[in-house]
Amino acid sequence: MNVTMPRVTRSIEHYVYAYSQAPWRVQRQRIGVALLIALLLAAVAALYLEVTSQAAVIGRQIQDMSAETITADRSKADLQSQIATLQATGTLSPRAQELGFAPVDSTTLLYVIVPSYSPARTRLTLGAAPLQPNTPSRPPEYTESLVTWLVRYFGGNQ
Amino acid sequence: MKRQYQQRLMIIISILVLAGLLVIGQIMRIQNSAEAKLFREQGQRYATEFRTFYPERGSIYDRNGNLLAGNKTVYAFGVQLSDMKDKDAIATAVAAALGKSPEEIVAALASPAEGQQFVVLGDYVDAAAARPLLGMLESTDPTLAATASRLRGLVLTPHPQRDYPEGSLAADILGFVSREGKGYYGVEEKYNSLLAGSPVQAWVPVDPSRAVEIPRVPPGTTLVLSLDRELQAASERILDENIKKYGAVSGTIVVMDPRDGGILALASTPRMNLNEFWTYGTVYKNATEFNPAISKPYEPGSVMKVLTMASALDTSAVQPHTPFLDTGAIMVGGATIMNWDQQAWGQQDMIGCMQHSLNVCLAWVAQQVGADNFYKYMIRFGFGHLTGVDLAAEASGRLKLPGDGDWYPVDLATNAFGQGITATPMQMLMATSAVANNGKMVVPHVLSAMVRDGHQYDVPAQFAGSPITPETAQTLSGMLAQSLEQESSNALVPGYRVAGKTGTAQIPGPGGYEDGATNASFVGWGPVGNPQFMIYVWLERPAASIWGSTTAAPTFSEMAKQTVLLMNIPPDDVRQQLARP
Repeated sequence: MNVTMPRVTRSIEHYVYAYSQAPWRVQRQRIGVALLIALLLAAVAALYLEVTSQAAVIGRQIQDMSAETITADRSKADLQSQIATLQATGTLSPRAQELGFAPVDSTTLLYVIVPSYSPARTRLTLGAAPLQPNTPSRPPEYTESLVTWLVRYFGGNQ
Repeated sequence: MKRQYQQRLMIIISILVLAGLLVIGQIMRIQNSAEAKLFREQGQRYATEFRTFYPERGSIYDRNGNLLAGNKTVYAFGVQLSDMKDKDAIATAVAAALGKSPEEIVAALASPAEGQQFVVLGDYVDAAAARPLLGMLESTDPTLAATASRLRGLVLTPHPQRDYPEGSLAADILGFVSREGKGYYGVEEKYNSLLAGSPVQAWVPVDPSRAVEIPRVPPGTTLVLSLDRELQAASERILDENIKKYGAVSGTIVVMDPRDGGILALASTPRMNLNEFWTYGTVYKNATEFNPAISKPYEPGSVMKVLTMASALDTSAVQPHTPFLDTGAIMVGGATIMNWDQQAWGQQDMIGCMQHSLNVCLAWVAQQVGADNFYKYMIRFGFGHLTGVDLAAEASGRLKLPGDGDWYPVDLATNAFGQGITATPMQMLMATSAVANNGKMVVPHVLSAMVRDGHQYDVPAQFAGSPITPETAQTLSGMLAQSLEQESSNALVPGYRVAGKTGTAQIPGPGGYEDGATNASFVGWGPVGNPQFMIYVWLERPAASIWGSTTAAPTFSEMAKQTVLLMNIPPDDVRQQLARP
C-alpha cells in the first residue's frame, strides 16, 4: 500500500536531510569551538586585567597614602615646632610683661600650709611604660592539689 | 573550476601561515636575543629603585615637656632643565625666596654644566617663603594656570630640618645638627645615633601594580632632659647680667640636683642661635668655648678647700674646732705659702679657716692629712678623670700625683687651695656633690628619659661611690653654712640656709701667674639639711673686683633665689612646719 506523505512534511524532511548533509555544518562546529576557546581566553584576560588594574589602583592608593602619611608627619612636626616657638620663653616672657604680669620674687610669695595636703609630684610622661618581658608561669598541674584537680577535671567535663 | 579555487586558497593560506610563522619566529628570536636580555636587565633596573628611608630625628624636651629641639619642613629649589619653558619667569618667582637676584638665577639656569639635567637653585628655604610658590604650582585655579605653566620645570622638594624653638636657649647643652644630619656638641652629638634612628634601605617597585609593603621606619628616639626651661632661661639671664656687671670675660653657671645628679640648668657664654649653626665659627674661637662647664679645665682656687677639708675630717686629721694659729705664712717643700691678703689671722679653728679662706691653714690641713691620703681622696673625688656627664666634648682636668715628673712637695699645699690642679666646673660640682648629698657622689647627667616606639624608659640616677662618710658630709655642710652666716656672705639666700665656698684663683700664664687677673668661683647648695639644688658659678677675669666673694658669691645668691622660686622649694621655716606630724 502506497502511502503518500503530505507535501509539507516532505519539505521539512528535505531540509533536515540537506542540513545533515551540508558541508559547512562541520565548519560551524569548529568555528563554534574556536569561538568558545577565544571567549574563554577573553574572559581569563579580562579577569586578569581586572585583577591587575585593581592591584595597580590599590598600589597607587597605597603610594598616595604613604605620601600623605609623610606629609602629615611633617605637618605635625611643623605645627609642634610652631607652637613651641610661640610658647618659647623669649616670646612668652615679653608678652606676659606687656599684659601686665611681673616675675614673682620671694618677697611677694606667700606660702600657705594646708594640713594633710601633699602636692603631687608628677613625672613627665610622653610614652607608655616599657614592656616587661613575660615571666614564665608554671602550669596549674604543678601547683594545684589533687582535690582542686579533680574539681577542675570533672567540673570541666560537665 | 572548484579545484582551481581550492589550490589558490591553499596557496594564500600557506603564505599567511608562513608569514605568521615568520612573525612568531622573529618574536622568539628578538625575545631571546642578547639585546633583549640587555633590555630586560635595564627594565629590571628601572622597575624597582633602591631607596633609603630616613627616620624623623627624635625631639628633645625639657623635664616639663617643653620642646627644645624639633623638626620643621624646608624646601630645596631646583629646575628640571628639560621641562623648563621660561627661565626669566622662574628667576623672578624664586628670587625673593632664595634671597638672590633674578640675574644671578638666570645666569645659573643659562649655563648649566655639560650633561646637567637638574640645576639646584637653593636649599633650606623656609616653608613660609616657599608656600606662595607651592600654592601656585599645585593650584587648579585656571586663572593661575598661565603663570604656573611659565614656571614649568621648577621643582620644590620638601625635607626636614632641625629646629630649635628657643633659639639660643640651652645651646651649650643641646648642641646642633648640621645639614648632613649629624649632631655636633652637647646632647645632639652624644645621643646622635639614638636621635637619628636607624635608616631602612629597601628595593621599592616603581610599578604601582607591584605594590609591596613599604618598610616601617620608626622615628628616632625622643629624649627628655633633666633640664628645666624656666630655670635655664633664668640662669642665662643672671649670668649675662653679672658678666656685664662685674666686667667678666665670660662665665658659667651650673645648677644640679645633688640627689640624683640631674642638671637643671647650665649656662655659659658665649652662646649661639642654634637655628643659625653656620655662625659657629664667628661665635666661638675654639671648641672649648662651646661649653666651658665641661670642656674648659681651670685652676678653681679656694672652692677646692671644701674637698681638702672633707678629706681631713674624713680621716679625722682635724675636727671642726681644731685650733690653728695662723702666722700668715707656712713653708712647704721649700716654698712659702701665704694667705690671699698676705696677713696673719691669728688663732682660728677650722670653721674660721674656711670662713676666711686661709691658704696657710688649708696647706697645714693637707699636711696633716698626708700626701698619700690627700691624693687618694682627690682620686676618689674624680679629679683627673672625666665625670661621665652625657654631653659631648668633655675634658678631664689634670691632677698631678706624687711620682709624676712635674709633681713637687709644694703641690700638696697649693692643691689644697685649688692652685696647681685643673678641673672643669662639672668636675667640681660632681666632687662637691658628695658633701651635699650625705657622702654619696652623683654622676651628673642631662638625660632623664627616652621615648622609643611609644614606650618611655626612665634613666635611673647613677652614683660614683661614697668618697666620704655621711657624718663628714653633714659636719662639713654645717661648717660651711656657719662660715657663710658668720661672715654675712653675699652668697646668703634670705629664708634658706645654704652652704658654700668662694674661690679666687690666679690664672697661670706663660711666665707664671698673671697679675691682677683671677677666676672667681662659688660652689654652694641648699637648703642645708635637705639639699635640693647645687650651684656652681665661675666668672672668668672679672674686672670690677678680682674676688669671688664680691662677684661669684652674689651671683650664686641671685641664682639660688630664682632656683628656690622656680623649683617650689619653700623657705626653711615653712619646710619645718610641713615636716611636723
